[in-house]
Amino acid sequence: MKFIKRNWDAHEADAWTKEDWIVIVLSPVIYFLLMVGFLLSLLLFWQGFVIVGVCIFLIWLMHWIINPKLKAISRDYEKKQKEYIKQLERSVRWEE
Amino acid sequence: MITFHFLDWFWVVVYLLLMIGTGVLFHRLGKRSEADFFIAGRGLPWWLPASSVYATHTATDTPIWITGIIYRYGLPGIWYTFFFAWGAISAFVTTRIFRRSLAYTQAEWNTQRFDGLGAEMLRGWISGWQIFMNMFILGWVGMAMGKICHLLFGWDPLIGLLLFSSLCAIYVFAAGYWGVVMADFQQGIIAFAVILIVSFWGIAAAGGPSGIVSSLHEMGEGWRLNPFAFSGWFTGEFPIAWFLTMMFIAVLGGFGMGTSIDWYIEAQRIQSAKSVRDASYSIWWGLALGIFRNAVWAIAILAFFVLYPGIENPAEYELGWFRLGFELLPVGMVGFFFASILAIHISTISSHLNLGAVYATRDIYHHYVNPKASDQQLVRVGRITTVVILIGSFIYGSMMEEITQWLIFALWLMAAGVWLPNILQVIWWRFNAWGYLSAWIANLGLSWLVVWILPAFGLIPELQDYQQFWLLMILGATIYIPVTFLTKPEPMNHLVKYYVMCRPIGWWGPVKREAQKSGLLDDYPPTTTGTGDAK
Repeated sequence: MKFIKRNWDAHEADAWTKEDWIVIVLSPVIYFLLMVGFLLSLLLFWQGFVIVGVCIFLIWLMHWIINPKLKAISRDYEKKQKEYIKQLERSVRWEE
Repeated sequence: MITFHFLDWFWVVVYLLLMIGTGVLFHRLGKRSEADFFIAGRGLPWWLPASSVYATHTATDTPIWITGIIYRYGLPGIWYTFFFAWGAISAFVTTRIFRRSLAYTQAEWNTQRFDGLGAEMLRGWISGWQIFMNMFILGWVGMAMGKICHLLFGWDPLIGLLLFSSLCAIYVFAAGYWGVVMADFQQGIIAFAVILIVSFWGIAAAGGPSGIVSSLHEMGEGWRLNPFAFSGWFTGEFPIAWFLTMMFIAVLGGFGMGTSIDWYIEAQRIQSAKSVRDASYSIWWGLALGIFRNAVWAIAILAFFVLYPGIENPAEYELGWFRLGFELLPVGMVGFFFASILAIHISTISSHLNLGAVYATRDIYHHYVNPKASDQQLVRVGRITTVVILIGSFIYGSMMEEITQWLIFALWLMAAGVWLPNILQVIWWRFNAWGYLSAWIANLGLSWLVVWILPAFGLIPELQDYQQFWLLMILGATIYIPVTFLTKPEPMNHLVKYYVMCRPIGWWGPVKREAQKSGLLDDYPPTTTGTGDAK
């Protein structure tokens, strides 16, 4: 079995898995590096361009990991959404 | 004061027509239903709410604030702006959970997560507080525009506040959130382009990037180029302890809802996205664009420092970025710059007008006053409350000088003591409405004690803001944790319903098992791959 799962069925995708946790760690690291990378690049320091380059790779990696899972969650959830909206409206109107 | 020529006014008039025209174009969509007027019928692709996230958080006071900290502290000051890193984790955690809840507002989500009287009290409190906050933010940002108009044309600041907020209200009134988000898209593009043009113009005037670097070294100010030039671990204006606290609050805040004041406005954008995936990307990319914008501004302000060093008065140097535009751009472009400032301004105003109105309409009118209201009635009430919030903002704007200090304190109150409860409500099934309510109430009293009363009597030393944060977090926990355990958990059937719909992260083991027993989860018997469902 591959370390990163990229084929999800709806039930599997609903659980919080290691793919989520990898992205939870990667995402703030990318924000932090982007901040530093942009600042240094705009001052034409070479380190800035290297950091921005690393960020672009990490952004691609993050999307590669999480996009299939988000798609699976969305696909499944949209099927149930209509019924949930009805429930929500009943609740706002004190009908349940 | 500056003189506008024909071409300058031309840009301003064209832009205003374009923006108000958007309202006319989309008013048919906006008036269809409550869902259309406030969340665009939950049908937007990710890049539209993303542009709205970016445009809304680019306000007239943002360059004033960023200029102030970068001019004073150099690049280390950039970390003050890093609070929006909450979105890094939130985009993949709380955004996902909140989008699944389908709640229009955070207040509505509270009644899904909690049950009974406590939940209703929370809904009333959060919605009332948000109506007030949106009026206040509108007054604050509107007055920043008033000051810019005073600087440019010598107008009374109230004229700038009244004129442009009222013009903006036309399309919010007509098209609701459809108008907001469509106008935000064009405003975001205009604002982004002009931020680049003015900033690069300023950087070029200071000798380009290498000219800025060498000038700062010659001036003995080379430390300003280092974003990590801290003043020690615990000493000076920029200790590492402050930086680490800032990182902790910002990044881990993404596991909560409401850990940043910006959450409330993003919640509306999350809900307007057409799917969970679109919601996640809208938050991530909208805020990532803000990082680039802040970096560009920061370097432009270093350029301003090189061109105009040694300004002591903050009121003078805070307008530095605007001065770069108005003093350096050629004739004709100045009007374009002013039109872009309008874009920056109006995107923020429109978002807060509609956001205040959704709390007033959905949470107060629809839920408590007239639960049987039709969609037509709700859209009408949405429009009326838009006008009421606009008028409220004029009142706050006119008294801003007197109340600013108090309100900054009030904002701080909201941030410190309820930061952890805002996370616990998402990740821990046992945390209940009474725990959360007691956290808010305790925070009010404790903040006064820690920030003002105890230091005034010499019982504790004057603490830096990051030290206050830790102290308030610990003191608050000594109240809301016992309250939580001394009161009953939320009813299990209510929690199961919430769990099945939202699939929250964290400690939800007993609720998950109950949902599985009831046959409400598709993955029964339980899988062992999940890592977020610990006991």
